[in-house]
Amino acid sequence: MKANFSIKKNTDLGKKLPDVESSTNKEITEEEFEDFIVKAGAAGSFMVFRSLKKEDELGLDEL
Amino acid sequence: MSENNEFIINESTLNKLLKEKKSSGFESKTWDNWFNSLFLTKPTDNSQQLMEKVVYNFFHSKDFEDWIKNFALNLNNIWNEPSARKLDPSTNTTYDMKNHSAIVIGRGPSLKKNNHLEKLKNSDYKGSIICTDGALINVLNSGITPDLFPNFYVVTIEPYQIQTTLYDDPIVDKFGSKINGIFSTLTHPDAVERARNAGIKIHWLHTLFDYNEGKKSINNLSSLMVRAKKNKGLPAIQTGGNVGTSCWFIGWKILKCTTITLIGMNHGWEEDDPIETIMSHGNMFEAPIIDKNSALFKKLFPKIYNPEFKSTCILDPIFQYYSSALKEFISRSPPELTTINATEGGSLFGEKIHCQSFERFLDEFNV
Repeated sequence: MKANFSIKKNTDLGKKLPDVESSTNKEITEEEFEDFIVKAGAAGSFMVFRSLKKEDELGLDEL
Repeated sequence: MSENNEFIINESTLNKLLKEKKSSGFESKTWDNWFNSLFLTKPTDNSQQLMEKVVYNFFHSKDFEDWIKNFALNLNNIWNEPSARKLDPSTNTTYDMKNHSAIVIGRGPSLKKNNHLEKLKNSDYKGSIICTDGALINVLNSGITPDLFPNFYVVTIEPYQIQTTLYDDPIVDKFGSKINGIFSTLTHPDAVERARNAGIKIHWLHTLFDYNEGKKSINNLSSLMVRAKKNKGLPAIQTGGNVGTSCWFIGWKILKCTTITLIGMNHGWEEDDPIETIMSHGNMFEAPIIDKNSALFKKLFPKIYNPEFKSTCILDPIFQYYSSALKEFISRSPPELTTINATEGGSLFGEKIHCQSFERFLDEFNV
């Protein structure tokens, strides 16, 4: 069986602005962030929901 | 792949792909949509992935019992009070999708710096106000009331008792009966009760956090308990980790707005904020001792340039986490939804975020 994939050029590439000044090798590590969040978390926060069903991450009409 | 750009696969492989595409909820979507969703399951942003893992583990171990307790104590009221879905205007004949807008009000420093509440009070804005619980008392005291803006909503998602204080004020009692409240089923019952006593009309929704873990997830178990007595389930929203992002999702998914404007949503600190305030996420805890000239400090508290507003702000690790998540979700929103950042500063800019002054928004969106 054959399937053709028509390729569309992505015109958005290159438009994305670099936001954080820090480069990849300056990214925060798990330990550094954990140390901070453990201190901050005691005062209140919540979490980002992730799922293999990416659509679910944007919410469910009814659960 | 052949030289003619043909992707050659077995029929059985195609059938497996079709089955997987369907089970991922992408049956009616394009192959391109589905492939891109698969790439998103492996985030290229390692930093964000690490931060989400830390937060998930931390809160799951720290707050699990409180969530269950809150939910159990709320359950009878959840059964008897309306779903947030009741606030969905799209079935109403007067619903004008094109002009249906909301302003989300956070409590960032830009509110005061840019005099945004005064500008809003003096405007003819006719859309909805979605107020974060933390901003409510200040917003009402500033004259942004349901008398001027009848479509007035307040949102609480956090499960802590301290949220009670955000409703504990005479100005809330004065206007409460004209305000629609939207609460997570995990909200501390004292906070909901204080809002209820102020006359706020309570509406419930689920806040998603572990639904991906299947049948035994708290999200699924709590939904089964709600539906044991209620005929229908509740809407479930992504919170993005904070009430501001939750308000944006509520504007889109519950109130069916096609334009959502953000004010007081800096998700970052001003350069002239005291360093202790920045390092303690607004004095929420004791600032860690870190050499301000060290590489670690620059990683934890990067300074970023917002090219849209030509301004700079400083992120702390929590704002890095919040800001990255909200920007990602806005970038994944549909074309019919316009998100305007009218905060006039902060860290929210990029794909599908239209940055403009609040004054200009009020002038242009005077409907």
